[in-house]
Amino acid sequence: MNLGVIGCNTMGLMHCQMAENAGLKVVACGDISRDNARKAARKFGAEAVGDCVALCNRDDVDVVAVCTPTPTHTEYIQAAAGAGKHVFCEKPLGRTLETIDEALAAVERAGVKLYVGHVVRFFQEFEAMKARIDAGKIGNVGFVKTYRGGIFPGGKLGWFSDWNMSGGVTLDTIVHDMDWLRYVFGDPERIFAQNLKRVFSERIDYALVTMRMKCGTICNIVGTWAHPSGFRVKVDICGERGMVTFDSSEAPVSAQLRLGAGSGPSTIVPASPVLVSPYQLEWEDFAGWLAGTRKPRVTPEDGRWAVRMALAALESAETGQPVEFN
Amino acid sequence: MAKIGVMSFAHMHALSYAACLNELPEAELRAVWDDDAARGQEQAAAFGTTFVADLDAFLALDLDGVIIASENVKHREMVERAAAAGKWILCEKPLAPTVEDCRAMVAACQTAGVGLGTAFPCRYIPSVMAVKDELDKGVYGEIYAASCTNNGQFPGGWFARQALSGGGATMDHTVHVADLLRWMLNREFTRVYCENGRLLRPGIDVDDVGSLHMEMEGGVIVSHIASWNRAASFPTWGDVTLELIGEKGVVSVDAFNQKLHVYDDAGMRAAWDYWGGNPDLGLVRGFVAAVDARREPDITGVDGMKAVEVTVAAYASAKSHTMVAIG
Repeated sequence: MNLGVIGCNTMGLMHCQMAENAGLKVVACGDISRDNARKAARKFGAEAVGDCVALCNRDDVDVVAVCTPTPTHTEYIQAAAGAGKHVFCEKPLGRTLETIDEALAAVERAGVKLYVGHVVRFFQEFEAMKARIDAGKIGNVGFVKTYRGGIFPGGKLGWFSDWNMSGGVTLDTIVHDMDWLRYVFGDPERIFAQNLKRVFSERIDYALVTMRMKCGTICNIVGTWAHPSGFRVKVDICGERGMVTFDSSEAPVSAQLRLGAGSGPSTIVPASPVLVSPYQLEWEDFAGWLAGTRKPRVTPEDGRWAVRMALAALESAETGQPVEFN
Repeated sequence: MAKIGVMSFAHMHALSYAACLNELPEAELRAVWDDDAARGQEQAAAFGTTFVADLDAFLALDLDGVIIASENVKHREMVERAAAAGKWILCEKPLAPTVEDCRAMVAACQTAGVGLGTAFPCRYIPSVMAVKDELDKGVYGEIYAASCTNNGQFPGGWFARQALSGGGATMDHTVHVADLLRWMLNREFTRVYCENGRLLRPGIDVDDVGSLHMEMEGGVIVSHIASWNRAASFPTWGDVTLELIGEKGVVSVDAFNQKLHVYDDAGMRAAWDYWGGNPDLGLVRGFVAAVDARREPDITGVDGMKAVEVTVAAYASAKSHTMVAIG
């Protein structure tokens, strides 16, 4: 299977590598920045393409990976599906449910496969937590608290700080937790949220969310783009017969570089190396689905649900009242 | 020397308050009264003081003040009796299960001309005091948001019986943090949303998990977890944590994270033993000083009532699934 990637910044480059690890071949690298496209193409021995819609129409492309800013996802999905290509789309699936529904309809019409990058479903620590819950190790789970985030992300185009594009920490970051919680505990009944949206000059976002699941479980989700540095994930899962907790600050590697004299202190960077990247596992899952040997762990409907939950949280934060899911 | 009596050991915090009274040179644990005579006798003996079975006789003693640590629903009557007897009062939190009770208790003490304090020892935790000091100095600038927890192990007993507690974890484990935020940020709460339920111990008749979202004056947003969600095998009783997001920075407090990891083969148990300063000592010392000076304690009955206003509104929200006004 040959891959064409659209969007060749950090995530695009990473997905190219992971797709190749999973057995695909990168043949075309598209980016509205010619320079980005050329760099990526050189790295993977592919062709640089400036027109990303044209990339979808190339005969040598079987699969298109969409790694662009959120609001452009659905138009590229439509272009790829229209050209009869399978699509991998980085999360979140889209910026609005309307554009997502158009894209899903296009995918349906074309009879192609769409995979959404909810990679947390493949993170080893989250897999280990889910395995213990599923095995009943802690009994029925009544409460979960997740915490995710750190520094405000600095996309090259600065698009994260444009609310209408990124949807802030809610749509971009804790959409991961919303998806994972729904994956483990089923559909939500109701959501309530608060957030800070201090983008001008300060670049701060902080989201406080409570989601009541249909099964009764209460999930509290905290997302931060409010910290001056770092990135941290914490999970607290409380059951009738025990608990499981995770904290990414308890990492096996903790590195600190000695900077030059007068440079001041450097930051401590924790690392938790794994044998296989969860991004590669995600691509292997997609490749297996394409080959007809696996059912996908993440369906297009899951991708839509994740955005639906995040948008409901943003709506709740606007209105100050909960949003019910019917 | 302030002569202090303890009324009821129903709440386990009474054990610590009694120990503090014995430790403080400026205080004397003069007598114990308890509506459970066996419990009162046992604790009076343990703390080397006398047990008085009759409440009128107890209140007729030459006591300057009393510490009340009964079940929540009994606070009001005991406060009213002690106030009428002219005693200074430190009452265990929550001050009472309803705002109406709190108001009556505050009024009774005003009428009697005695001081009423609420037992919020968290204000005396060293890490909390240090951060409060920094906040006052403006180190973090304006505070925009807070994410907090007061998790605990299941306390059992009367705590889990509505008729005696008046409420579950949402009540028991919201008031400390509500008080800390009011005090540290110098603002009142305005609205609350709450999801809660009996989710971890199906047999009990109160909620054991509450997830609250509050707003404070000036638009500060707050998430708070009030729960008895810690496993019985968890290495400590629970936590009090606050993460504050400010204009000039972020500060996190994990108030009891001054701990030793203790591995005990005899009990086959790993535990976290807190080695930090005892906050109850600051609380009791402050109360004794107020008794001596015959002035209002630093943490007042009104402070206790303000925290109860939050929990009462939280229960209303959990029923209506709407955000509701506080107070």
